[in-house]
Amino acid sequence: MGPGLRRGDESSSEIHTPHKHPLPTLLSRCYTPAMRMIIASLALLTAFPAVAAPIRVDINSGIAQPLPIAVPGFATAAAQPTEAGTTAELGQRVAKVISDDLRSSGLFRPIDPAAFTTSVSVPDVTRPQFANWRTVAAQALVTGTVTANPDGGITVGCYAYDVFSSEELARQGFVTTAAGWRRAAHKCADLVYSRLTGETGYFDSRIVYVSETGRKTKRIKRLAVMDQDGAGHRFLTSGQNLVLTPRFAPNQQTITYMSFEGNRPRVWLYTLGSGRQQAIGDFPNMSFAPRFSPDGSNLIFSMSTGGNTDVYRLDISSRQLTRLTTQTGIDTAPSYSPDGRRIVFESDRGGSQQLYVMNADGSGQQRISFGDGRAATPVWSPRGDLIAFTRIGGGRFSIGVMKPDGSGERLLTNAYQDEGPTWSPNGRVILFFRSARGGPVDLYSVDLSGQNERKVPTPLDGSDPAWSPLLP
Amino acid sequence: MTERRALLAAAAAHIILFAALSIGWQFAPKPLAPAEEMIPVDFVDIADVPRVTEAPKPSMKAAPQETVTPEPAPVEPEPTPEPTPAPTDAVPLPEPKTEPKPVPTKPAPPKPVPPKPEPAKKPAPEKPRESKPLDTSVLSNLIDKALPKARVKPLDTSDLAKSIGVAAPKQARIDPRAAATLAQAIQAQVAPCWNPPIGGTDVRKMTVVIRADYARDGSVIGQPTVVSQTGTSTGNSDYSRAFAETARRAVLRCQPLKLPANLYDLWKSVEINFDPESMT
Repeated sequence: MGPGLRRGDESSSEIHTPHKHPLPTLLSRCYTPAMRMIIASLALLTAFPAVAAPIRVDINSGIAQPLPIAVPGFATAAAQPTEAGTTAELGQRVAKVISDDLRSSGLFRPIDPAAFTTSVSVPDVTRPQFANWRTVAAQALVTGTVTANPDGGITVGCYAYDVFSSEELARQGFVTTAAGWRRAAHKCADLVYSRLTGETGYFDSRIVYVSETGRKTKRIKRLAVMDQDGAGHRFLTSGQNLVLTPRFAPNQQTITYMSFEGNRPRVWLYTLGSGRQQAIGDFPNMSFAPRFSPDGSNLIFSMSTGGNTDVYRLDISSRQLTRLTTQTGIDTAPSYSPDGRRIVFESDRGGSQQLYVMNADGSGQQRISFGDGRAATPVWSPRGDLIAFTRIGGGRFSIGVMKPDGSGERLLTNAYQDEGPTWSPNGRVILFFRSARGGPVDLYSVDLSGQNERKVPTPLDGSDPAWSPLLP
Repeated sequence: MTERRALLAAAAAHIILFAALSIGWQFAPKPLAPAEEMIPVDFVDIADVPRVTEAPKPSMKAAPQETVTPEPAPVEPEPTPEPTPAPTDAVPLPEPKTEPKPVPTKPAPPKPVPPKPEPAKKPAPEKPRESKPLDTSVLSNLIDKALPKARVKPLDTSDLAKSIGVAAPKQARIDPRAAATLAQAIQAQVAPCWNPPIGGTDVRKMTVVIRADYARDGSVIGQPTVVSQTGTSTGNSDYSRAFAETARRAVLRCQPLKLPANLYDLWKSVEINFDPESMT
């Protein structure tokens, strides 16, 4: 059977059905001439005996559009004060954060609360009046409660419903400090996202990046960290030393980056809890482009020795250093596959920057990027199925993805200069930085289909982002 | 005079110095507040209570639906149907509505529970059969003209006809064209309501067959059920469940179907195969 018919399909709009038809009432209820035609033909075949087997219908296409979802303010039995406001105020703010998270994914369309016919009281949270939500065309509903705990913390209860089947889909409670209400909201949004899409969420996560300010010749670059939605922004380094390429450890508590501290460009570690910064080793030469292994036990980075730049692996606990590449040229930007078995990196060994994949021990190196232009800064998706990279060609930098064997290359962005991709924890969204010609540098996100491009707010210019794994 | 000038100069110099220091101060490495530890969020398990759906709506005529609980026995099967008030401080979220009867336990619910279509079917407000004096010649003219124009792919009715023919009792005469055209009419009405989850890694190989029972007025009776699903694996059970639910949602959203009442016996039970092949 062919592709699904759509209501109002142009291909059928030329059909006209005369109104002196013998079935005027039936036909006038139908939507399109195509359907009228179908029903008219059905009418020819009247009165068949009963059939036991159900009729079989094939639907091969639908409409990809965001799911309309209602997220009314979270209810509270009585407004109780907390450090972060009353529970009633928090209920509104939690719903707003959830709504914004879901909208930013491009997969949901939160309905304007002004359209809601009712507010939600505590009993409604667990027994929603589904008819009210059908009238505002919501297909899914998120309700919840905010309660102050005796210890000063709060409990956020989160419930998700399918409006048309009147069915509860998920529920989860989150206990946190009053100040932690945003994290509870992100956790609730992740619950809803994962239940309705079947994929893991990514809203309760953070971004580390390089905050930039000042003239091009005297640029001040500082490490900064913020929530995935831009909230909770904070600088980590003072800006005295140039810093580049921050990357999270799998435990989200450590960041590795390159700093020019003491005019010696080296790989450093920053511990979020204590603020401690330390160089990872006293290597004689420049080391850069660090990244953690998926289990957090190793770092891979580039180091230059004797005019050659190669990829090295450092065992963090034993400090044992292993050289993984030996070819002439610059081998850099290494990134592990999520299973830790392979590494993708860029190299100019063949004359221009291209992507190569090797086994984690350095064996089996092979080029995977071909075609016009150069390819740089590869990052393996946390799902393992794709590699994101910067495609350089035709005077532009674009974000692209390809399979680990180099096939299926697609460009996701088309601007003057987009580079430095990093994956959301679920592998559905890519964050990168965009430089306008002679203008600002900003963080942007785009989803895997190349849709839903959004600017991520930062107080100053931003570059070199890295997305954390999902927080615990 | 010179003294005054010197004073002025000194004052100006101080101002400049102060300004310079202020600017310098701005760029000086500010002592950064030590990065805090992450605020902890604890998960509260509230899965040990039955997950209960809304009471059946009169219009839906649904059999009471209990979605299965991941945990065994409900904590307290107290028969109070009152919604208990707000959670105050409890760690397990309050059980809002308790189900009097114990809920059967199963692992994660991949499929909706097959509904028991109640026999008490709403006597559909069916209009008297139109089409008694059917002028078939006019109609067939109409269709013959309309068909070629509509760039709808000709339907391959052979499979359908075969399957119906096999399944139907001997005495039942099914016109394959009726079945196929009916299928097309249903497809045209349900497809616009389907929002398949396209981004999933496993979407390419996934299909689901949903069975729905319809009342004479075209409304769905009870809950549509999953008949079969392809492309599922142990790794994608969440995704396959979400996928099946998009199909079920399409069936529930796009009702009542507008189909000829005189063919009701043909469409009172329908199996719809959702396959996003042409979207991926």
